[in-house]
Amino acid sequence: MNTVLQTENLSGGWDNQEVLDNVNLQIRRGEVLVIAGRSGCGKSTLMQHMLGLLKPWSGKILFNGRDIWESPQTLQESRRRWGVLFQSGALLGNLTLLENVMLPLKEYTDISKSDIALVAYSKLETVDLADFADSNPLEVSGGMQKRAGLARAMALDPELLFFDEPSAGLDPVTSANLDNLIRTINKSLGTTVIMVTHELASIFAISDRVVMLDAEEHGIIAEGTAMELKENSTDSRVRAFFGREEFTEKKEE
Amino acid sequence: MKSTDKLTLDGTQLSIHGVLETDDTDYLREFTEKKKAVFFNAGKLILDFSDSPGIDSVPGEILYQFCRQLARAGVKITRIGASKSMDTLFASFKKHESASSLKKQQIGMRDHFEDLGEGVYTFLKTLSGLWFFAGETLNAFIEMILHPLKIRWPMVFYYMEETGVKAIPIIATLTLLLGTVLGYQSGFQMRIFGAENFMPALLGYSITWEIGPMLAAVLVAGRSGSAFAAEIGTMQVRQEVDALRVMGFDTFSYLVTPKMIALLCVMPFLVLLANCSGIFGGLLAGILFLDLPASTFISELGKALIPLDIIWGMIKSVIYAVIIANVGCFMGMRVRGGASAVGKATTAAVVLSIFLVIIADALLSLLFVHIRPGLSM
Repeated sequence: MNTVLQTENLSGGWDNQEVLDNVNLQIRRGEVLVIAGRSGCGKSTLMQHMLGLLKPWSGKILFNGRDIWESPQTLQESRRRWGVLFQSGALLGNLTLLENVMLPLKEYTDISKSDIALVAYSKLETVDLADFADSNPLEVSGGMQKRAGLARAMALDPELLFFDEPSAGLDPVTSANLDNLIRTINKSLGTTVIMVTHELASIFAISDRVVMLDAEEHGIIAEGTAMELKENSTDSRVRAFFGREEFTEKKEE
Repeated sequence: MKSTDKLTLDGTQLSIHGVLETDDTDYLREFTEKKKAVFFNAGKLILDFSDSPGIDSVPGEILYQFCRQLARAGVKITRIGASKSMDTLFASFKKHESASSLKKQQIGMRDHFEDLGEGVYTFLKTLSGLWFFAGETLNAFIEMILHPLKIRWPMVFYYMEETGVKAIPIIATLTLLLGTVLGYQSGFQMRIFGAENFMPALLGYSITWEIGPMLAAVLVAGRSGSAFAAEIGTMQVRQEVDALRVMGFDTFSYLVTPKMIALLCVMPFLVLLANCSGIFGGLLAGILFLDLPASTFISELGKALIPLDIIWGMIKSVIYAVIIANVGCFMGMRVRGGASAVGKATTAAVVLSIFLVIIADALLSLLFVHIRPGLSM
């Protein structure tokens, strides 16, 4: 099956505020898909829906052809095959980096504690943090927290990795290193990556395909490779996003 | 350039020289106050900005208000040489001022009723949310009892230490002091009638029926209920709860159940401690202030109290523990937004849990009257 995750006529949002209307999106196995757009366009909301943290108002989210909301078990099973890196890293503050990475392994495997620790160490090694295994998340830098978050997301070798603005709050070098790491994981393990970002550098560095959302449209306004969107798009919002023309918002009369 | 050089007055023409900065505000205010009679009398003001490239926002606002004051009194104001940025600043003040005065007009009786209605609605919504949350907790709890191996015992022990062991000093100290005060004050009044021998009975009833369980509950709500709300709330803000959820964790069994089990385990013992400590305080008061021998105190207390008095307090404490843990965790789980939301949730957790504990206490007291021998009429 070529499509891993799919949204089918997805509409949703927060409380009573509609953010997404009739969004259809297919994520192909092994690709790096970037969901881009200006602040407030619904990128993070779309991801929250895909992760099952927000229930769709209507429409479906299909993971390997099955609706994730079909039953609590389906959602649970789907989540076990995903890894997520949140914007802040979202490491549990009362656990060390190693314990954070061990958390999903403890929950879902019945191997011994020392084996779990060994797997966790190897994951930390992947993100070059094995030396900081016993540190508390608050004792390490923001970039390291995100790398540790990535190690935790990869703990169970997921089919799908989600990233919510991984470059937020990072300097360009650290951000580029994180992009490289994500790209390496995608290439070497074949993990499908879905990333929400508005950083052009990240988009060009890692994306195979970009979908652009817009707040007024409540959905997707463009889809293609980063270069196609930059060079060929005739939509002024897309061109403005990629820095091809100055974009001025329509003023309310 | 000094402030004094930035403003010059020639007849009714007020000229600004250079950039009028925030530091010049005091001088500007003083100058305009002193000279405003000139403009009132002449009926006009010419503001000359031709020698000023710009003006900071704060002196700009002072100047704007000054012009408004003059204009209201019929003074004709002419601006010359104003830069575009200055026009924009003045236009922005004008827009904002009309918006803020509009808001003031709107606040009337109707708004107060609306606020009241909204407050009641929010409170009822909170209670209904709490009701559903309690249902989920009960569900998780039954699941845990059916599968005790699934309980995260290390976390339960951690919270037992946090909510129980660490609360011992404060609960013991406060109930000891309260028992002493209660024993002394009631004994002193009873002594007038020669009835100080009944003080141990009165003290025993007050402490075991009400003060012990209630004070322990209030202290636990303040210490642990708030801590639960703050801990889970902070985890919400830092997306840790979302992370747990998408890792497939049952957030209830991870975050709520261990706290609930821990509090259920320690609360009866905290109440027992509060009872013992309070009664010991009364004993001290009897010995120190009322010349009541310890043997008399103990024998009088023994005659008055029955085992049910002690057990009842411990039963009540289990219900209080359910309330405190539920409210604390519920308030933490519903945190959305930033740090201030955590603070609000913490306060709300303490207030609501004490409120519900008192209501539960009132209802349980009504029941107790019927089940305790010697109380029903």
